[in-house]
Amino acid sequence: MTALASTLTDTLRSDKSLAAGAGLVAFFILMACLSLAWTPHDVAAIDADARLAAPSISHPFGANHLGRDVFSMIMVGARTSITVAFFAVGIGMGIGVPLGLLAAGTRGVIEDIVMRMSDVVFAFPAIILAILITAVYGPGAVNAVIAIGVFNIPVFARLTRGSALPIRTRGYVMSAKTAGKNRFRISLEHILPNIAPTLIVQATVQFSLAVLAEAALSYVGLGAQPPAPSWGRMLAESQTMVSFAPWLAIFPGLAIFLFVFGLNLLGDGMRRRFDPHRIVGAM
Amino acid sequence: MPAMADMFRLTMLRALFLLAAAMLSPSGALAAGALNIGVQLEPPNLDPTSGAAAAIDEVVYANLFEGLTRINEDGSVSPLLAESWTVSADGRVYDFKLRKGVTFHDGTSFDAEDVVFTLNRAKAPASTNAQRPIFDLIDTVEATASYSVRVTLKEPLGAFTTYLGWGDAVIVASESAATNASHPVGTGPFRFVRWRKGASATLIRNENYWGARPALDRINFIFIPDPTAAFAALMAGDVDGFPNYPAAENLGLIERDDRFKIVTGTGEGEMILAINNGKTPFNDIRVRRALSHAINKEAVIKAGLFGFGTPIGSHFPPHHPSYEDLTARYPYDPAQARRLLTEAGYPNGFKTTLALPPPAYARRGGEVIAAQLKAVGIDVQIRNIEWAQWLDQIFANKSYDLTIVSHTEPLDIDIYAREDYYFQYHSDAFNKVIADLRGENDPANRDAFLREAQKIIAEDAVNVFIASGPKIAVWSKDVTGVWANAPVQANDLTRADVTGRPALAPGEHGTTSLPLWPIFVLIAAAFALVAIFAKASPAFLASRAASMALTLFIASLVIFFLIEIAPGDPASFMMGLNADPAAVEALREELGLNHSLITRYAHWIGGLAMGDFGVSYTYRTPVAELMAERIWVSLPLALLAFAISTAIGVPAGLAAAARREKTSGKSIVAAAQAGVAIPNFWLAILLVMVFAVTLRWFPAGGFPGWDAGLFPAFKALLLPAIALAIPQAAILTQIMRSSTIETLREDYIRTARAKGLTRRETLIGHALRNALIPVLTILGLQFAFLLAGGVIIENVFYLPGLGRMVFQAIAQRDLIVVEGVVMVLVFAVVAIAFLIDLAYAIVDPRLQGSGR
Repeated sequence: MTALASTLTDTLRSDKSLAAGAGLVAFFILMACLSLAWTPHDVAAIDADARLAAPSISHPFGANHLGRDVFSMIMVGARTSITVAFFAVGIGMGIGVPLGLLAAGTRGVIEDIVMRMSDVVFAFPAIILAILITAVYGPGAVNAVIAIGVFNIPVFARLTRGSALPIRTRGYVMSAKTAGKNRFRISLEHILPNIAPTLIVQATVQFSLAVLAEAALSYVGLGAQPPAPSWGRMLAESQTMVSFAPWLAIFPGLAIFLFVFGLNLLGDGMRRRFDPHRIVGAM
Repeated sequence: MPAMADMFRLTMLRALFLLAAAMLSPSGALAAGALNIGVQLEPPNLDPTSGAAAAIDEVVYANLFEGLTRINEDGSVSPLLAESWTVSADGRVYDFKLRKGVTFHDGTSFDAEDVVFTLNRAKAPASTNAQRPIFDLIDTVEATASYSVRVTLKEPLGAFTTYLGWGDAVIVASESAATNASHPVGTGPFRFVRWRKGASATLIRNENYWGARPALDRINFIFIPDPTAAFAALMAGDVDGFPNYPAAENLGLIERDDRFKIVTGTGEGEMILAINNGKTPFNDIRVRRALSHAINKEAVIKAGLFGFGTPIGSHFPPHHPSYEDLTARYPYDPAQARRLLTEAGYPNGFKTTLALPPPAYARRGGEVIAAQLKAVGIDVQIRNIEWAQWLDQIFANKSYDLTIVSHTEPLDIDIYAREDYYFQYHSDAFNKVIADLRGENDPANRDAFLREAQKIIAEDAVNVFIASGPKIAVWSKDVTGVWANAPVQANDLTRADVTGRPALAPGEHGTTSLPLWPIFVLIAAAFALVAIFAKASPAFLASRAASMALTLFIASLVIFFLIEIAPGDPASFMMGLNADPAAVEALREELGLNHSLITRYAHWIGGLAMGDFGVSYTYRTPVAELMAERIWVSLPLALLAFAISTAIGVPAGLAAAARREKTSGKSIVAAAQAGVAIPNFWLAILLVMVFAVTLRWFPAGGFPGWDAGLFPAFKALLLPAIALAIPQAAILTQIMRSSTIETLREDYIRTARAKGLTRRETLIGHALRNALIPVLTILGLQFAFLLAGGVIIENVFYLPGLGRMVFQAIAQRDLIVVEGVVMVLVFAVVAIAFLIDLAYAIVDPRLQGSGR
């Protein structure tokens, strides 16, 4: 445990951008957790006296047109954002990874079908696909999760297949095969652990894309529904008031930006750790 | 070998060309003598006799179409195409004497036959007129002479001449009635020039008008649904005003700006919390009364209407002479509300849902109402829905508990007498009052009946009557002669004027929209070029083409079936709130909605193969034509964004790779990291804030059209293109950088360096070309993304492109349009992937061997 902890501190100390990314992500996750127990103001409370209040000590990020505290809304919005992204990536991995392993393990017709379906999903521009799904099944957090998740399936299916194929021919997999292990066990015991780092890096990248997609969907009114705060909807609602209450547009946008930024730094840092040859090079 | 210098030269050339073209084009100043008027909702079509949408009347009423009578600004009725009339003693027979010397805009003359045709068409079984129940009261219409018409009613109808002044009763000619939806022909002082869907409609003065010559040369109605965009358009001078200003929260700012004036008039809209009277627990009058006591109307008005509204106590506007003040019937009293709930058997309240349609009054007011109801123990769950869902679930299927809506039809209290209306309210006493009112001509008696009607529904607490919103108009200071009040939902501009602007040259016209075919030619040419240069083997080409066709086929299946099971009936949405079910059914038949899914798919896909995308439900225009208009916004926008993204991303990526050990290289990496994380719509808002609202260098949105000149069009696309391009440029920088670094590790680079080439020479002469290979895929994907990714950006800047079209179409349940646009976007993505495959085949002929 201490060994792991010290490796972790070493890593963070030696890679400042990884540390910054991890810090930002941790900050938002902590904020989301904290919002479960405490927020400076009740996010649902409507306070006529605080309508459009500028940033101050009691409302550090100001208050919106209903007198709701922007800082509290951003805290709860982090929760919405993280939850939606988490489940969306979960759907992508939960379905995509087994499909990819299946395709790599069986080849032939099944592989063709999986890859063809991936092509079809990829042919849909992601945002259009998400809008279609939420427009058909109604707006809401659950449908946003599905819409974003569907697009993640082929990402993981392809990546898994692509990473698994070369491993299949390695000696230890071959020997496992000769030892009589079936395909299912080989995939689970030998291939999956080997491609896990790649998948985790990709999951971080997809997580940041999912946060952006959730923000975009709720910006156009197809994400989480009120009174549940979401960053994208806060931006949409702020737009008409931007000229006299700019804090309403600045802070939620900044929250999205910083969270996504942190996730990207974290993802890149992890890639450097797991895939170090990438930064080696000479000229 | 193409070097980076060449690329720069190319980019510079392109920029120079654009600049030169911009200088030569006319300026984007407002056309003189023209009024640019912003309206929130775009009409679904321009025929007021076949749809209930108020947006139709807001464009054509009084300006383009005229009825036998007309409604004036004060609500009074005066003769228009009928010079005079007499009514028989029993109130059933009307004899109209028609005006002579009136011609329609197409040159045909107006006479009794046109009146007979119009009224018979409105009451015919196939009529889609939204007010058909009224025309059904007409027994016969006959031409008694060339300019005399006799109308016989089935029963006396006191307000008949008022109804004849509504937009639903304007006179149309048999020659042009069928095409009025897209090309309206009336007798009014302005005639139709052009309708750019999703953007604007233009009318110009009718020089052959029979009556007083209007002052304006031209009216441009500009459709701006979004309140933010409305404010931005006003600030940016894109419009001269809004007859109904949608962003009340900005009024304080506008008031302080001496370029504008705010004109407040009486509105006809009653904002209500509608209650499903047929559903438990709301079928209990005590529960409904509890709701009335629980709601603080003042607070709702403050938050939902930004203070612009008067509380009401019944379904009636306060400015009307027959208004009965019933606001004291249910004072705000949460304790009383709790008592009533306890009495009704809900001491601990209950759970219920509140459905909110999109307008700000509903969404904002709804949150306040939910909080107030929670305070008396009613647990309200908010459900935000689109208009289409509202019409389908609530209006048509009555599947709701509570909803907030504003009823804007004038004098529409009789809706409470309609059987099976969405309130699910029934009162014999009320129905009798309304029946008596219909047959009554005496003003004193009518007044008494109207007051009685208001009292009954207030006593029954049918709904919570919240507020009557004023009609708030914002106009540029130099606009005169516009209506302050709106007794009918119309913008009568026959007396409007813009002082201090010179008149237009006579006969000035807009040009027609750009055609679609050059785009197909472009695509075909791109395919041919790549195929030739790739010297691809026919077998390879065939296999790629077959796989592309298969992907497209599966995609078409997915799109069609995914969309067709969407909730919401397009026909009832198009016909509007108070439409007659028979008219909705007639429209369903007309649109082919009654056929089976399979038949419709076969029909659709068959048409697609022939380039026929079907006909839009809402615009009643071929989808291909609509897309042809829109693609001339989306494609240039995507190209411009693509150019910006490439111009930044490729050199920045190269530089970051070359200097990756130095601070400059690391800063580029950091900037790219930041750029990737910026949501493009947030960037768009920030750009509008800085460059449009504060600095006023660029328009805040809208698109003037290519015929306004290259420079204004380019200017309108620049901010959106930047917002779209920055995050993409950042992605490109990262990929370009890592690709270059990979390349620089190759042996031949070392050889080149060992040979004595400088770093720069090596970089440009050897690394660039090879580093660009993997970037090619990204460029292709980026272009596809930019084309589709415009959806949101086009909405921020209200650009009439494909993205906004698909969004509007989803909201309007215009399924055929959604299917068409998505299919075209999917086609674009697949085709680009195909082109990239071929391009790879140029670079690496070995790829031709394998299928994938």
